Amino acid sequence: MNKATGIAVAHAQKARAILVASLMGLVLTACGGGAGTVENPLPQNPGGPTQVSYNGLNGPRDAAVNAFLQNVWTPMQNSATCGNCHNETTGQNPMFARFDDINMAYDDAMPVADLTVPGNSRLVSKVGSGHNCWLGDDQACSDIMTTWIEGWAGASSGGGGRQIVLTPPAPIEPGDSKNYANATAENFRSMVYTPYLEQYCSGCHSSGAATAQSPYFAETGDANSYLAAFDAAKPKMDLDDPSASRFVIRLSPEFHNCWTTSCTQDAADLQAAIQAFANTVPLTQIDPSLVNSKALRLVDGTVASGGNRYEAAQIGLWEFKTGSGTTAYDTSGVTPSLDLTLSGEYEWFGGWGVTINNGRAQGSTSASRKLNDRIRQTGEYSIEAWLVPANVTQEMSRIVTYSAGDAARNFTLQQTLYNYDFLNRTTMTGANGDQPQLSTPDADEVLQATLQHVVATYSPIDGRRIYVNGELVTQGDPAAQGTLVDWDDTFAFVLGNEAGGNGLWQGTLRMVAVHEFALSPTQIEQNFDVGVGEKFFLLFSIEDIINVPTAYILFEVAQFDSYSYLFDRPHFLTLDGSQPDGIPIQGMRIGVNGTEVYKSQAYMNLDDVLTYTEFVELGQPLSPLGTIMPLEKGPADDEFFLTFDLLGSETFVRTLDPPLVVTESDLPAAQRVGVRTFDEINATMSVLTGVSPEEMNVDMVFQSLRQSMPATEAPNAFLSSHQVAIAQLAIEYCNALIEDRGSISAASYFPGFDFNAAPATAFANRDAFITPLVDNVMGFAVQTQPQFSVVRDELGFAAISGTHPGDLIDRLIAGGTGTRAIAKGTCAALLGSAVTLVQ
Amino acid sequence: MKNRTWTRNKHADGQNLTGRLVQLVTFGILSVALISTASAGPREQAKRIHDRLAGVPPTESVLQLMEAEVDFGQPGSAIDAAYRAMEDPNFYNVTLKNFAAPWTNRDQSVFVPLNDYIATVVGMIRDDVPFNTLLSGDILYVGPGSLPAYSNFNNDHYAQLEEQSLDMKNGLQRITQSSVTGLPPSATAGIWTTRAAAEAFFVAGTNRAQFRFTMINHMCNDMEQVHDVRLSPDRIRQDVSRSPGGDSRLFLNNCIGCHTGMDPLAGAFAYYNFNETTGSIEYTPGVVQSKYFNNDTNFESGYRTTDDSWINYWRNGQNQFMGWAQAGPGSAGSGMGAKSMGEELANSDGFASCQVKKVFKAVCLREPENSADRFQVSQMVNSLKAGYRMKQTFAEAAVYCMGQ
Repeated sequence: MNKATGIAVAHAQKARAILVASLMGLVLTACGGGAGTVENPLPQNPGGPTQVSYNGLNGPRDAAVNAFLQNVWTPMQNSATCGNCHNETTGQNPMFARFDDINMAYDDAMPVADLTVPGNSRLVSKVGSGHNCWLGDDQACSDIMTTWIEGWAGASSGGGGRQIVLTPPAPIEPGDSKNYANATAENFRSMVYTPYLEQYCSGCHSSGAATAQSPYFAETGDANSYLAAFDAAKPKMDLDDPSASRFVIRLSPEFHNCWTTSCTQDAADLQAAIQAFANTVPLTQIDPSLVNSKALRLVDGTVASGGNRYEAAQIGLWEFKTGSGTTAYDTSGVTPSLDLTLSGEYEWFGGWGVTINNGRAQGSTSASRKLNDRIRQTGEYSIEAWLVPANVTQEMSRIVTYSAGDAARNFTLQQTLYNYDFLNRTTMTGANGDQPQLSTPDADEVLQATLQHVVATYSPIDGRRIYVNGELVTQGDPAAQGTLVDWDDTFAFVLGNEAGGNGLWQGTLRMVAVHEFALSPTQIEQNFDVGVGEKFFLLFSIEDIINVPTAYILFEVAQFDSYSYLFDRPHFLTLDGSQPDGIPIQGMRIGVNGTEVYKSQAYMNLDDVLTYTEFVELGQPLSPLGTIMPLEKGPADDEFFLTFDLLGSETFVRTLDPPLVVTESDLPAAQRVGVRTFDEINATMSVLTGVSPEEMNVDMVFQSLRQSMPATEAPNAFLSSHQVAIAQLAIEYCNALIEDRGSISAASYFPGFDFNAAPATAFANRDAFITPLVDNVMGFAVQTQPQFSVVRDELGFAAISGTHPGDLIDRLIAGGTGTRAIAKGTCAALLGSAVTLVQ
Repeated sequence: MKNRTWTRNKHADGQNLTGRLVQLVTFGILSVALISTASAGPREQAKRIHDRLAGVPPTESVLQLMEAEVDFGQPGSAIDAAYRAMEDPNFYNVTLKNFAAPWTNRDQSVFVPLNDYIATVVGMIRDDVPFNTLLSGDILYVGPGSLPAYSNFNNDHYAQLEEQSLDMKNGLQRITQSSVTGLPPSATAGIWTTRAAAEAFFVAGTNRAQFRFTMINHMCNDMEQVHDVRLSPDRIRQDVSRSPGGDSRLFLNNCIGCHTGMDPLAGAFAYYNFNETTGSIEYTPGVVQSKYFNNDTNFESGYRTTDDSWINYWRNGQNQFMGWAQAGPGSAGSGMGAKSMGEELANSDGFASCQVKKVFKAVCLREPENSADRFQVSQMVNSLKAGYRMKQTFAEAAVYCMGQ
């Protein structure tokens, strides 16, 4: 980097340099954390238990003050506790919650609110740091305050989009670090798990505990439980700085379930254990020959998420940001909050969300009444969710429901196999809202076990509709037009199950919202485009490599799920207006914690030239693709960097992966013989008898038995049923032969044998029948076939001896059968035997 | 033939244990387990060659000729005997038909009607058409003119051929696909663009089936065997969830390994479809079939197909073991359309090796199981690559497994 520029940039970094990207044509609208609103939310609380409204001396002097009154002051007084101190009576400055004059309150609120970036407001950071947060989760208070200010800002500005502020990160070299890839679960077990986690934490942090609390880093139950525990414990340990481990901090200074009277000592002991474990993990050092960018963590990026969602009619919002505990907070800012209690088996999902395994999130019936009261006023509503079904096999599984049990509901969005179902109680659809229900088309299989955006809307005009990933997927509501007057305000709002517990849905909810109007297709598409979860712009500095000031590779990065990050759509840009050109770039890879990730490198084939002439909104697009990278230590600790095979004049010569060397091992010796298969049997019998396979009876039998005969040659796959089919076919061939329907007459085939004589007479000359039969069917002088005399005796000459029943012909004669039938049976016995079957 | 006594099978010594153990009870209740092998002389070896190749026993006259050819010291060779066995029409009508039939359907069933895929394989082997054009040639085999004409819309032509038990050895005629299917010659790709293959593998879905079943049937590796997570996922389409059921580890450890290689190759099929309504193959040059955009919101940042380009990432990494051609046909490593991709696959060592192993299994009725077998296979692969004449491979396998 140029020194002077570097200083300037450093200043800019400290000052959170606002790069309203119009500097470079980079106006980044449609990004950011909240509502770029179109209409004011309606924070009133009709029918709610605590309703404070403004009764001051002066009304709002202008629209801006009115927007503050509607969007911040009123909901703040009805749910937050700011008004207890920041008022004209107590006198705590700033008095933005004063009751006597809304205009004065507005004037005091302005310095502590940032209407450009609401999340940066002092009001937000104060409650977010725990200052008189009125909920059990500072994050939830922060989110709600942000939502209020966003509503204020949106109303004041007429709903315009907000500008993103890119914050250049500090130029940090990829550091050496310790990675779990080099750690062993056995060391974790012996040093941390067994002496501490299993002993002191498994009472809750194990899936089998009576009061199971995820994450299950103290999982117990079987000999391998420590493996699952290790996975869950990784984000809670800091191998590079054990004192910063979450495990340690929870004990001291947070005093969470210490097992002795001294939390300090417990924390020290556990820290020492983690330190001992960390000492077993070698340091990963970055390859000095790599051509690499500067490094940064996810949290070093610029927040890019949530911008411009349509939230004007939102009356309930659950973003699951808390990440622990048993409460999913309603952060819609619309009072009363419909906070949900998590129970059963569930896990918090990395990157915001909650995974329902065998549990649910349920609101109280009183809090749920908010939905009834507001939706019955409008007569229409929308259910919106970002979700990941765990599978496509579950049926009638309630994803979002406002109901009383299996047979009574106001609404339900549920999964049945590949379909979403929408049940809505109107005067025409019955108490269960399912006469009829609306489902997505079976054939389309729109429900997939992947992240999806689903919106179910209802309005009296359009009836029910279901949108998946921004597109309408249902065609008309089969129900007649009705109204919502029959809704019951005693029902409970539940996620992931039926109110009675009989409709478990397994999957992950990343966000759920309820709106008191039917969202339009445009609004739905808008919310789909925004996405879900917290996203960041990461700026990987490459200015030292290409000698261009403030040159960066920009990625949009988010935690994708509990196990990975999404790196999306890289761009090349400069922040100071530099105009680089003609810089080659090839083979870009993403590194994590000091080493290149060996898989999922979607940009390793990148081959481009960096040039300012292709700068567009975010700079020069390098790829439209995104890719996911495995999560290792967690978003607060994983450190990313980029490497290049060629960048500018610097190159890295990569060693190619070698081919697989296939070493084949010996197999057990197989049989050297096999059986003929169906067509071969048919052809063989035809060849041996001279009867065409097209002969009518033969063909009929073969076609009916074809699939009952062997399909493979393997002897051990031969079944008795195969033999039965073969015997039937053999009979038909022999029948055709002896009845002169073959190419050779019976008289020619069996010279000297009289088929018209009585059996006793005819078979007195049985050699005339047996010898040509055996010679033709078995062949002769083939040493791998049975001995001629043995076969001959079995057919016509063997005497009864011991268990031997005697020869076949004599037994058939004794049965009173005619000559031709005996001949056919004897022929078939040989034709359908192993002498023809085995090859 | 040497001095040989025609004594039927009147051997009382232990050499003929097989025959004595066969129990001919009423209508031949049979226990195959009782069959054992006996040491084989030229006559027995000749019979086995015929049995294995033609599927039926030889006539006495043919057996005598083959016996002489197998016998050392007599004119001819065992290979000649094998070629003589392959003169039997049943080699084409039975053995080859059932050799190819399982490749033509997803269930890999042998119980399917004769179709153009099977007939083309039979014809190519009959005529010694270089088998490395199997996935790229403008080639088709049809039956005699007495049958209903070849149709793009049904299989009647071949069904009738089979129903009438017409002889494929003499009855098949070689024509070009482009002359009857309407596909431009450049869009023909051997058996891939037969009606039967289209009906089985271009129907619905995402066209990956055509590729996967080619891997199974003609490269002898299902996708798991070529699983390589180290390659770039930059051609993995949008329909592949990167977090199936909310767990991206499944993608990072499993899905990615197959799709990194498969998706960039299956791009070659982007213009093909089987229209279930008309019952015929569709080809839309320049327009990617809509099936390539099924579930494209599963991962919008995935690859979006824009044309029928393909690239073989398996030329790097562990799957180099499949021996990709380094020069000549099939050595490009990337290209446009199915024809060139078919050349890429069919000129690999893996393709040749697979054909040999399939023939070995069909003739020897077992897998290569020891170093001697594997050496034989390697010799047969070299032999096949010298001209891709499959009949020669069948002959070599039959001789190798004719018995001691």
